[in-house]
Amino acid sequence: MLIQAASGLERLMGGSKGNSLKDSTVAQISAYLYYNAHVISRLTTNKQFQSKFSELIFNQIDKDFGQYIDSLARTRPKSLHHVYEWGKTGNKSARLFDLNLGSQDGLSFKISYSFKPSVSFVPASSKFTRRHVFTNKASIMEEGRSLTISPKHSERLVFEADGETVFMPIGKSVTVKRPGGTASRNQFSLAHGRFFSGQLVNNSIKKSGFQQMFNRSMAKALSLPSNIKKVQYSFSPNIIRGQADASLAAAFGGVL
Amino acid sequence: MTANYKLDSMIELRKFLWNELKTRNIFDEENYWSDNLDENIIPIVPVQQSPEMNQFLSGKKHIVYDKIGISYEDNWAICCEQILFTIYSTDFSEINEVRNFMTDQFRRMDESARDVNKWSGLSDKFKFHSIFVADISPTAPSEELQGFFAADVILEVKYSRIMDQAGRFL
Repeated sequence: MLIQAASGLERLMGGSKGNSLKDSTVAQISAYLYYNAHVISRLTTNKQFQSKFSELIFNQIDKDFGQYIDSLARTRPKSLHHVYEWGKTGNKSARLFDLNLGSQDGLSFKISYSFKPSVSFVPASSKFTRRHVFTNKASIMEEGRSLTISPKHSERLVFEADGETVFMPIGKSVTVKRPGGTASRNQFSLAHGRFFSGQLVNNSIKKSGFQQMFNRSMAKALSLPSNIKKVQYSFSPNIIRGQADASLAAAFGGVL
Repeated sequence: MTANYKLDSMIELRKFLWNELKTRNIFDEENYWSDNLDENIIPIVPVQQSPEMNQFLSGKKHIVYDKIGISYEDNWAICCEQILFTIYSTDFSEINEVRNFMTDQFRRMDESARDVNKWSGLSDKFKFHSIFVADISPTAPSEELQGFFAADVILEVKYSRIMDQAGRFL
């Protein structure tokens, strides 16, 4: 739209033809507007800018969201213990979740989350020599799915319940209805929804420093090339378009 | 002279909040008398102390708080912190009362900060610039404490420590 509107200026930049008024001021102002219009309109299609934009904002959101979940988990461990390694609820280095930067369309981008596999041993009494890893701990507990445990490396299951050692019959499995407890189901999803549908994500975007980066770079890109500052009766649209591209590339980096 | 590094903005804010909650009769401090300690306990507890306070605070309205994050930006004189307060009570309306008070007190940015700065109990080593409510959750049954309701209030606080000419804490 902006490019279309600016194309009308090309005639005024080209000096006098036929009955048109020959006026250097009109040509210069037109060239100035033409240059600005091209810088602004090409900005959103600049891949380097898009990538810088999303990276800067995503990194801040990722940091703030992680800290938010850590704090919630410390305050309500029964609800969010499942998205951390065993016994490390609310600890940044033990997180079992990640935010992921998804597909990008112009300056819009999607953020999703995923759960990481647990790598630590399930806590057990020291009298048991064999230790186990509950790899999909976070996703199974979040979904509130029941879990069937079968003997794999030995003929029967042996475990502790309420301080008693239980010996299961040979080959028998055990079903745990709510492996993370009833409080953990969907709690990460709820916290995620709260962060992204409320004011917290907006604060995060503001904090990202995107505005400062944008303003600094935009001011640099919009600074007029010296030829437009000179009084002339004719300006070449091709040259100005090239200058706008070069200026954007210099301000935000990369090829247009 | 060495600065007192034990001072913390969150503790200052907690002192202010407790004073306001008492003054406005939202909390009655007599309900929090501890025979063991022979003193009143402030029912605004850091999350790290929450498990040991569970028995004492059983059935009583209280607040658990935790620091979400802390950062200094380009302007290193100003610190930005986010603090999560979780209000617990067995009475739904009591939670709403505390939450509404906190919203009313802390939503006004520099005006809210001015109230804290004017309070005589505040350490003279702090100056608050802005406090606002970053998020409020609805009141819902607590998954952590059986029989309790809970609601969260997240405050974003900007403040400075009073500094010497070299920019070090006083």
